[in-house]
Order: sequence, then structure tokens, then C-alpha cells
Amino acid sequence: MLDQKISELQSEIERILPAIADNDALEKFRIEFLSRSGKLASLYEELKAVPGDQKPVYGQKINTFKKSVETQFESLKASLQSSSASQKIDIDITLPGRERPKGTRHPITQTLEHMKSIFVSMGFGIVYGPEIEDDYHNFEALNFAPNHPARDMQDTFFVKDDIVLRTHTTPVQVRVMKNRPLPLRVIMPGRVYRNEAVSARSNYFFHQVDGLYVDKHVTFADLKGTLVTFAKNFYGSDIQYRFRPSYFPFTEPSLEMDITCFLCKGKGCRICKHTGWLEVLGAGMVHPNVLRNCGHDPEKVSGYAFGMGVDRISLLRYGIDDIRIFFENDLRFLNQF
Amino acid sequence: MRISYNWLRRYIDLDASIEEVAQKLTSLGLEVESIEHLGRIFDGFYVGEVLDVQKHPNADRLRLCSVRVSVSDYPLRIVCGAPNVAAGQKVIVGTVGATVPKNQHDPNGNPFVLTKATIRGVESFGMICSEKELGIGEDSSGIKVLAADAKVGTPLAEYLGVNDTALEIGITPNRPDCLSHIGIARDLAAAYNTKYIKPIYNRFENKNINISTLATVNVKNTTDCPRYTACIIQNVEVKESPEWLKQLLNAAGLRPINNVVDATNFVMLEYGQPLHAFDYEHLAQHAIVVKSAERGEKFTSLDGKVHELSGNELMICDGERSVAIGGVMGGANSEISISTNTVLLEAAYFSPVSVRKTAKRLGISTDASFRFERGIDPNITVEASERAANLIAELSGGVVVSGLIDIYPQKIVPKIISLRVARVNAMLGTTLSAKQIKDFLESIEIGITAGKDSNLFECSVPTFRPDIEQEIDLIEEVARLFGYDNIENKTSSEVMFSAPDQHERQITAIRTWCESNGLNEVLTNSLIDSPTAKLFGNEIVAVKNPLSVELESLRPSLLSTMLQTVAHNYNHGMSRLQLFEIGTVFSAATEKNRSGYVEGYVEKNNIGICLSGEINMQSWHEKQRVVDIFDLKGLVMSLLRGIGLDNSVLIYYNASTSLTEMTIGVEINNTYAGFIGKVKPELLKKVKIDHDVFFAELDLDVLTKFHAVKTYKGFSKFPTVVRDISFIVKKSVTVADIEILIKKSGGERITAVTLFDLFEGQALGEGMKSVAFSLKINSHEKTMTDAEIDVMITTIVQSVTKTFDATLRSV
Repeated sequence: MLDQKISELQSEIERILPAIADNDALEKFRIEFLSRSGKLASLYEELKAVPGDQKPVYGQKINTFKKSVETQFESLKASLQSSSASQKIDIDITLPGRERPKGTRHPITQTLEHMKSIFVSMGFGIVYGPEIEDDYHNFEALNFAPNHPARDMQDTFFVKDDIVLRTHTTPVQVRVMKNRPLPLRVIMPGRVYRNEAVSARSNYFFHQVDGLYVDKHVTFADLKGTLVTFAKNFYGSDIQYRFRPSYFPFTEPSLEMDITCFLCKGKGCRICKHTGWLEVLGAGMVHPNVLRNCGHDPEKVSGYAFGMGVDRISLLRYGIDDIRIFFENDLRFLNQF
Repeated sequence: MRISYNWLRRYIDLDASIEEVAQKLTSLGLEVESIEHLGRIFDGFYVGEVLDVQKHPNADRLRLCSVRVSVSDYPLRIVCGAPNVAAGQKVIVGTVGATVPKNQHDPNGNPFVLTKATIRGVESFGMICSEKELGIGEDSSGIKVLAADAKVGTPLAEYLGVNDTALEIGITPNRPDCLSHIGIARDLAAAYNTKYIKPIYNRFENKNINISTLATVNVKNTTDCPRYTACIIQNVEVKESPEWLKQLLNAAGLRPINNVVDATNFVMLEYGQPLHAFDYEHLAQHAIVVKSAERGEKFTSLDGKVHELSGNELMICDGERSVAIGGVMGGANSEISISTNTVLLEAAYFSPVSVRKTAKRLGISTDASFRFERGIDPNITVEASERAANLIAELSGGVVVSGLIDIYPQKIVPKIISLRVARVNAMLGTTLSAKQIKDFLESIEIGITAGKDSNLFECSVPTFRPDIEQEIDLIEEVARLFGYDNIENKTSSEVMFSAPDQHERQITAIRTWCESNGLNEVLTNSLIDSPTAKLFGNEIVAVKNPLSVELESLRPSLLSTMLQTVAHNYNHGMSRLQLFEIGTVFSAATEKNRSGYVEGYVEKNNIGICLSGEINMQSWHEKQRVVDIFDLKGLVMSLLRGIGLDNSVLIYYNASTSLTEMTIGVEINNTYAGFIGKVKPELLKKVKIDHDVFFAELDLDVLTKFHAVKTYKGFSKFPTVVRDISFIVKKSVTVADIEILIKKSGGERITAVTLFDLFEGQALGEGMKSVAFSLKINSHEKTMTDAEIDVMITTIVQSVTKTFDATLRSV
């Protein structure tokens, strides 16, 4: 009798419960079956009619049944709650997030920082020098004879007859060689000036990085190795390069380094003037006259020096065709970097 | 320098392609900057013969021609509209694929590519050309008819003699010896381990007359003119130069003038010796006197310009007057003309310094002055002079008078320089043998005699290499000839530890902070106009030779160029400007204890920060707002905190600058660091900015100097209590003063005072404001009781109300 009731109730629940899809139906189910006056509670009423010796058996049966229904109810309730929670959120999450404004470093700074980091990793310190420079440091100590045509290579702004705006960062070499103990291994970044008309390809000021290594037994082979290591780090390990003899008053032997044009990969294009090569730096062994001018004996120590233009390299790196855009500081330009 | 490849091959036999030769030159330090194939524009054009001419079946004016352009191939059928075409003519034929340089039917004369065309129903396989179409003449009335002996099938470039290649070579200032074709041949010969040959030519000498009977030379200034030679060519006929000469000069970039002048230019480009031809009849007393100019003398050079001379110029004079500026330019009064019959040819060696000074002072640069300035070979003079004299005679039908006047009081002899083999390898990092080094040097005509041992050479340096002055210069020659690429790239090195660089690290930290906080870094001009510069003070550094008045003075502040940047961006539609620049500013002053600078000038490394326009981006969640001084003040304070200076910053409000109002001064560890302010409207008006601009400029040396390692301080374990108090005070009472007083009267248990409300209104009374502070109260020793806190608040309230005549609004 009671067995039948339980099994009837069980099949009824198995029919109803899976169909419940919202909280209202669930609440109706709870009231009908699980409430104090619900159908499951009424089973305990029936228990009164069961003979005494069978009472514990049936009591146990009803308990188990009730527990199982309650478990099913709770799990359904939990799953309904979580799904209804997501349905209830009424926010358009496609709205833009609250972004922080983007700042930028100037592309020339980025190039310079990249160069610095490579040289620092190669054991170079960083030194700065003045932009207002005297003739002695800018020219004379660097082996530019007073009336040498080499002075024409660098049209100069004069502040006084013997005070100039430095035409290169090389005078800082003189300052460090005079003032710091050997061995010396430094780079010298900074702004330099040339009295040249402003055009797409040239500006009256630009930025350079000079490098210097003075010690016992420094050789041309050391210089080449340093430059190749730098170039492969900076331009990529797959570049081709070449060294050409060149001339600077303050180095001997002197060289210029070309790398394959990174636009045309050496085939020849407008950027490399159809040569396939781009000149990226000048260098050489510190001239004995310069060592002597800085108080060092060229028989005892030797050194190498190099220099490169940051703006020109930035032009090439970022595919910019007019150098003037660097200093216009148009936000539409700056925000691209 | 531009050289002709055909010309170069007169002196050296090269078994290599032009591209290979160009690479070799570059590896020698004679960088080939461009290669121009002069005849390439005529690719696809040949000499052809018209075999037969028929009427076009469908057009009266057109004819069908059968033209042979190759001995072996079938003739081509070409439709031709020229009135003068006839069988038997030798003509210029453009074949299919060739580019016609000038389209006669195009108003702009643009080039076009020949294709197989059907003209009125008949196929045509090329084009018979006019002079004009090829750009070799002006006649466009008909086709160009060539001489009957023209060989069928000859490429046009070859027929015209323009199958030359011009190489543009960048010659560094130390290599004057390579400013000539022979000089370049000499270096190439060394590199290819071969020989070069000097020109062989016919002599046209009249042995019956000696120059000494015709002219005199007197060099009064042998310092500036160490050598002067003269020779005379008689019976010249001045006329156009022959084709071969014109072609070579054109290829090398010189405009042909007449046979005499062209001959001197030719020999200059051949030997590197500049020459000057005078009209002998125009030389008074047939004399040459070399001396310094008269001060104030006026001289007309052959380009028609009048120069006033300072007295330092070296002049070539005749018996009465100046006839040339020595080594720079000839005079109009003695130049070669069509009526010249006798030529006096000058070949001299002028001092590089003297020519350079003169050329620079007079603002003249000529092919001659360029070479003299760099230093020509003083011992090539006679050889070049003889060559030129005989060439003039050959080209003009004249004869060279026997003898040559050569004033050379002190012969310039080869330098002798010692070279140590070990030194070569020590400098280069090579292991070259003595024999290898000797071979390299001898290949460029450096004479070698063994020194006291086999590892020491005494080197005799030819006078065409003035750049070789000491041992290191010889080492460079060895490196150059060995090949830079053959020297090892040594990639190991003794490691060196550089000193830690706090300055560099702090600058990077500042940049990173600025970038992370939405600022755009700018880089601006260092030069500005002087009136603007003077607004910043009187200690301005100006350049004497500015590019323009706008670029005359070095900037004393980063502000003025920052304003240019702001103006540019407003003018181009941008309206949210948050910028910073790190750069140098300059003043003419002397600062004590500042080494490493030129005395009398102070350079500072500053950071300028600028805000203008909207502070925030346009968005759905926040209204856009225009910046005010508190945005910049807050930004600067955050930056200083961001780089670890929070405990050493002092700001003060009685600062002032000539450029800003509402100025706030900044000190770090009692050192002036800079200011924050609102740019004065009159300054903005100048650059046409009609928005408020806020600007701060700080000294980076001060910002980077005081960075200290932080020390941990324990914080309280007891709860913090927050109490709010508000007062009504006169508007003139500053918040900063109230804050200071609250902290002072509350003692160290007040851990923070934050202004959280500020307003004015009718209800408060005229000239009054309400200020509300939130106080954080905390003790390190215990949990504070309400009673203790009440006492503290009462003390604060009493103190504030009494000191500032304030009324308590609420506690």
C-alpha cells in the first residue's frame, strides 16, 4: 500500500521535475511536494497506519526517498539560479573600456635608446658633452688643420671666432680622453649642428652617437668586430655589410660601413640611390696626433672611434622620406610610434 | 669626381666588368656613388639601310620601306611618313622594344616604347628616326640621313661614340691624387696587380725659337707659388674641338668650349694638373709676374664678376696689371678668344692654403682651385705642361716654341717615413709578412729601402700623395690594399665594467613615466629668434652666421619651441595636447663648479611639460574637460613621486617668471628645480594660440641628483579613524595654510589631510568659501578612543578658527 504510494509519487516527480524551467515552477513544485503540507510529508501520515514492526523499515524508505528528491530539487535550484543570473545582467559589454591615454617616445629617442642598450651590453659607458664647443675641441685637437679642406665637410655655426656649435659629437672624445683614466670604453650621444639649408634630406641640427675605446693593444680588427656585432644586433643578424676605406681627420685608418639597403635588400632603389647599399657609420683608429693632443702616447696605447647619425638611421628604419617631420611634432606623426 | 670609363681605359687595360671595377674602386676608398651608362638610352637603335620604298596602299603620305638593320637578318618592313626617305639611304632605325627618347607627337615630348604596329592596315616593325626624336639634334622635318659609309647594324650609341659609362666617384679630401683619370688608373693598377700607361703623343715643337726670346716670368711670392712654368704655342687656330675630345669631356661632365680651353681641361682631368691658357698678345710686355694683389684692387674674372681684392690674394700679372687670380680663375682681359694666335700656357703649383683662403674669401670654387686646395703633385707640372702644349698644337695646327720656363727655387722632394712591420700588424690586428707589406706599398709607387733590420722600412712617398705624412698613413695604405674585408672581425674583447649611471637611469625612468602617463615626447629646434629669446632674460647666446633671423639664438628655455609645437597641432585640428621634451637650454653666464663646459656658457638639461586643450579623451562615461593649472600641478607632483622624490619636494607659491602667471616654484632638497605655471596670454598671442597653455620646466640635473634608496618605515598595527571637518573662511585664506595648520595642531597622529570639498555661494556670505577636509588619524601605540580623538579635533578647530577667523561648519 505504502510501497505503491511511494512508487506512484516517485514516477510523478520524475515526470514533473525535468520539465521545470523557471523559479516559479520550481516554487510550485516545492509547495506541492516538499512543503510541510506537501505530498512527501503526507507519506509520514500514512506511516501511522503501518504495523508497528514494519514502521522502522518504511520510515527509513520514506527518509531515503525524501532525501533523494530534496537533492534533485537543490541541484535544479542551483542550476536555475546561475542561468537566471546571467540572463538578468542588462549591460552592453561591447561598450569601450575606460582606456588610459597612450603616450609616446619620440622615434629618434627610440632609435637612440636601442643603440645605447646594445652598446651598454657590450661594456660601453655613456658620456655627454657640451653643445657649445670651442674650436680646440671641435677641430684643432681632432687634427683639423686651420686651413684644411676637411673643415668644409662640416659647415659651422659660430658663436664667436673660436666658439662654435659643435659640428659632431667627436669633441666629447677629446674631453673624456683628457679627463678620464684609461682604459676608456664609452659612447657619446648628443645633438650637433651644421650650417646647412634645411631640406627633406638634411637639417641644421641632428643627433649623433660617437663611440671610443682606448686601451693597450686595440686593433682595427677589434673595431671591425665591434661594428659588426652592433650592426647585427641593431639591423638584424641577416644583413650583409661592407667596409670601405674613407677619410676623417681624427682617425687613421678610417672606414665607412655600408649595409644592404633594407628597403630593396640590395637590389637598388631610390633610398639607396640604386647602389643597394646604405652608409650607416664612419669609424677608424684614433689618429696618433689626436692621442698625443689628449695626453696619451700612441706608442703605448691605441684606440678606435666611431660615429653614426641617429636621425638618418631613424629615417631609414621607419621609412620616413622627409627629415623635417621629426621636428614638426605633429601628433598624427608621434602617435604612430 | 665624374670620370669616363672609356677615358680611363686609355691608361689601363681592365679585364673586368664595369660593375666589378666599380666594386674594386669602392673597396679602395674611391667610392663609386653612381654608374651612368650614357649610351643606354639608344639601346635598340641601329644604323640601317633603306633598300626599297613603296607607296602605302591606303595612305598617300605614308610609304612602306624595306630596311636592313643587320647583315644576316631579313629586312624589316617599316611604315614611314617622312618626306625625305629614299632607297639607298643610311638611316637610324629604332627596333621593336626600343624607347624613343622624345615623342614628336606628344606636346611634352615624353618618351615612348616602340611596338609592332598596324598602320592603315599594314604592319610596321620599327621606326626610322629624326634627330629630334633621339635628342641628338633639332631637325624634325624629316628622318636623319647618315653618312654613306655608316656600317649597317652598328648600334647607334657606338656610331655616335656615346657608348661610354660615367662613374661618379666620391673622392675624400685626403686623396687629391685621384682627382684625375691617371690617378685613378694608378690605384686600380695597384689593386689589380697590373700596370698603367701614361699617354703617348706626337710632338709639335719648333726648335728654331726659344721661349726665352718671347716671354719672361718673375715669381715674387714663392711661398704661395713654389713653382711656376710657362710655355708658348704659336700659330694656333681657335675652333671647335674634335668629336672624340668633346665626347670625353661631356662624359666627364665638362662643357666643351674651344680646342685650346678644352685641351687644358682635358689634361687637368688626365694628370690632375690645372692649367691656364693666356692670350699671349694680351700680356703687356709679354711678361708674367706672380705677386700678391694690391689692397683694394679691382679685378674682373673671366665669368665677368668684379672682385675687390684684400691684398692677400696671389695674382698672376703681366707687365702692367693682373691677368689671373692664381690657381682660382683667369681674367677677362687675357682670355682665349677666336682671334687668339699665340697662347702662353701656365702650369704651376700653388700653395694649398693660399688658394683655399683666396677662393673662400672671393666665394669662387673652380675645378682648378678645388685641386690646388687639396694639393696637386708639384713634380707633375712640366710633364703635364708639355702634354697640354702639344695637344693644343695638334688640335689647333700650331707649334710649341722650344724650351719651357720653370721657376722652382726649392724643389719639393719625397718624404721619407719609417715603417715598422710589427707596428702594421699591431694596429690592424693582422699577421702580414714584411714581403706582403713591401709589395703593397711598392704597388702605389712608394719606394722602399730596408732599414737597419728586415722589419724596418724606409719609405719614400711620392709627391702626389701629400696625405701620407707619418707611419700610420702608410699603415692605412697597407690596410686599404690588403682589403678591409680581409681583416678579421674580432668579436671578443676584454670585458670592461662601466660605472653605474644613476643619471642615465633616472632620465629613462622619467621618460617612461611620461610615456606611461599619456604624454607625447617631442623634439624641437634649439635655435629661435632673438627677440623671443630675450623675453627669457638677457644672457642669450646667439650665433654669428645664422641661417635666418628666426634661427639666431640658442633657446634659453624649452617653452618657446614648445609653443610652436602647440600652435602647429592646434592649426592641424588636434585639441588634446599633452607633451614633454627633454633637451638642452643655454645661457651666456658663468657657473662655478661646473666643469666639462666651455667657460662663459651654461648648458642645462631640462624637461618641459605642456598641457593644453582637453585633459581627457572624448568618451561615453566622462565629460570632456579643459585642462587647468591643477592638472599640471598634479601631473608634476605625480612624476616627482613616480621617480622617488616624494619626500624631498617642496613647492612654493611666491615664485614668478616673466613668461607665466599662477606660477608655482619647485624645490628638491632645498635646490631650485623649476616652475609650473600658466603661459601668459601675450606670449600666446604671438604664436596665435587662443587656448590656455600650462607649462612646467624642470632641471633634470636636480631631478636626477637626489634620488636616494628608500628606507622602510613600519606602519601602525592599530585602526585608522577618519574624521571630516569643514570651515567657512575668507577666500583669501589658502588651503595650503589651513592644511599646514591642521597638521601642526593635530600632531603626528594626523597621517593625512585631504581637501574633499570646496565651494562658494551666496549663503556663505560675500567673499567667503567653505572648505572641507578629511583627516586620517592613527597612532602607532594604541587604538585611540573617541574621547582622545574629540580632544584632538577640538584643538584643531580652535586653532583654525582663531588663526584664520574661520567658522566651523561641521565636525
